[in-house]
Amino acid sequence: MNRTLIYFALAGIAIILQTVLLPLVLTGDYKPDLLLILVVYLGLHEGPWRGGSLVYLMGWFYDGVAGAFPGLHGFVLLGIFLAVRAIVTRVNTESSPLLLLLVLAGTILDSFLTAFALDFFSHAARIWPQMAWHLPVQLLLNFIAALILLRITVWLQRTFMPRKKLPGLRKLDSRYES
Amino acid sequence: MWEWWQKNRPLFLGGVLLLVALLWYSVSLRQQEETNFIESVVLRLTGPVQVGFDNMILGVASTWGHYLYLVDTADENRTLSEENRTLRAVLTQSDEVRLENKRLRLLLDFKETQDIDTLPARVIAEDASSWFRTVMIDKGQEHGVTEGMPVVVAEGVVGRVVRSSPRFSRILLVTDASSAVASLLQDNRARGVCRGQGEQLVFDFVLRQEEVKVGDRVVTSGMGGVFPKGLVVGSVGSVERQEFGLFQAIEVIPSVDFSHLEEVLVLLRGPQ
Repeated sequence: MNRTLIYFALAGIAIILQTVLLPLVLTGDYKPDLLLILVVYLGLHEGPWRGGSLVYLMGWFYDGVAGAFPGLHGFVLLGIFLAVRAIVTRVNTESSPLLLLLVLAGTILDSFLTAFALDFFSHAARIWPQMAWHLPVQLLLNFIAALILLRITVWLQRTFMPRKKLPGLRKLDSRYES
Repeated sequence: MWEWWQKNRPLFLGGVLLLVALLWYSVSLRQQEETNFIESVVLRLTGPVQVGFDNMILGVASTWGHYLYLVDTADENRTLSEENRTLRAVLTQSDEVRLENKRLRLLLDFKETQDIDTLPARVIAEDASSWFRTVMIDKGQEHGVTEGMPVVVAEGVVGRVVRSSPRFSRILLVTDASSAVASLLQDNRARGVCRGQGEQLVFDFVLRQEEVKVGDRVVTSGMGGVFPKGLVVGSVGSVERQEFGLFQAIEVIPSVDFSHLEEVLVLLRGPQ
């Protein structure tokens, strides 16, 4: 229960950052998708049922502050979560480069699923040309955001909770990586 | 068979879950024009926090702009007197007030030209995603704002209300891919539909025999049932007339600078 609340609090912080604070410092309409990074993390470290339902609910909350299509982000984020779950047994989930790589792959999958859901199911104009144009910048932003978040999280863990085990972050600290 | 099922069960269940999510999304699209329960809850929860952060940012920006910046200036220019610094602060502040006054006066002038009730609102947050173009305003159902109402500024059309909670609403900007505005060219009255393309708009369904020039003004036609007739949408940025085909490819530059949207007007009654 505590973990669930923490995940929702993190999602809330991500939403506030993306809607109010980051638009002030980033030009244009670009902003890193912090919720996507959280979903990739959940895919690596939470079980399919608990993680899946959490991610789907988060998607519905995301719809409240992004776009005008109810259920869209539930579908998209669940798709990303399930894709990460599909490979999770074959990889070292505590490797930080893997997390960064999955954020990049998640960003591509996010744009693909969004374009698919909008172009095939809604009355919106074709969105994929716009997405294809914006994707390189979005990839870069998400990558930098994931890198910064990883560094901050590891630093916070090392400073304030050196004995506490954070799922997936036990070995992300470079001291434990070989 | 059992072994095959055991091996592929996660994949199968994952696929079923994703399909259910897609079907639910598809069904939800039918109620797309209304604010659902979860969206209303999200607006209620995030709205006050966003207002708080917005006010805090305004406060910090004001402090930085009117005080800290001048302290730095004073450090760099020791010869300046305390009186000078204070006067500069007042001047900077009055500049900001003057600019705000100018913006509000424009809105007020525009408001007076409209024969329908308008409600001024402040933009408090942007869309959380890079793929969509929406903004949140600090007015909602308690102030008379409901879904479908047009939103404008003095320069032209901003968008329409797509979600509303008691105290906050979300506006779908005309530049969003899912936005379409029935429009016409002011000079030759050629009709079409302006669709969002991110930073720009495309003017669809203008017949190829229509004479369209770069710089022509595009206004709302009032045909869509959302926007009153005659509001400025933008101006023609480029025209491409191919050898074949019924329509021309026209790009429209919006008249509103969406990157600096601070105050807007909600038109409380639809077109007459």
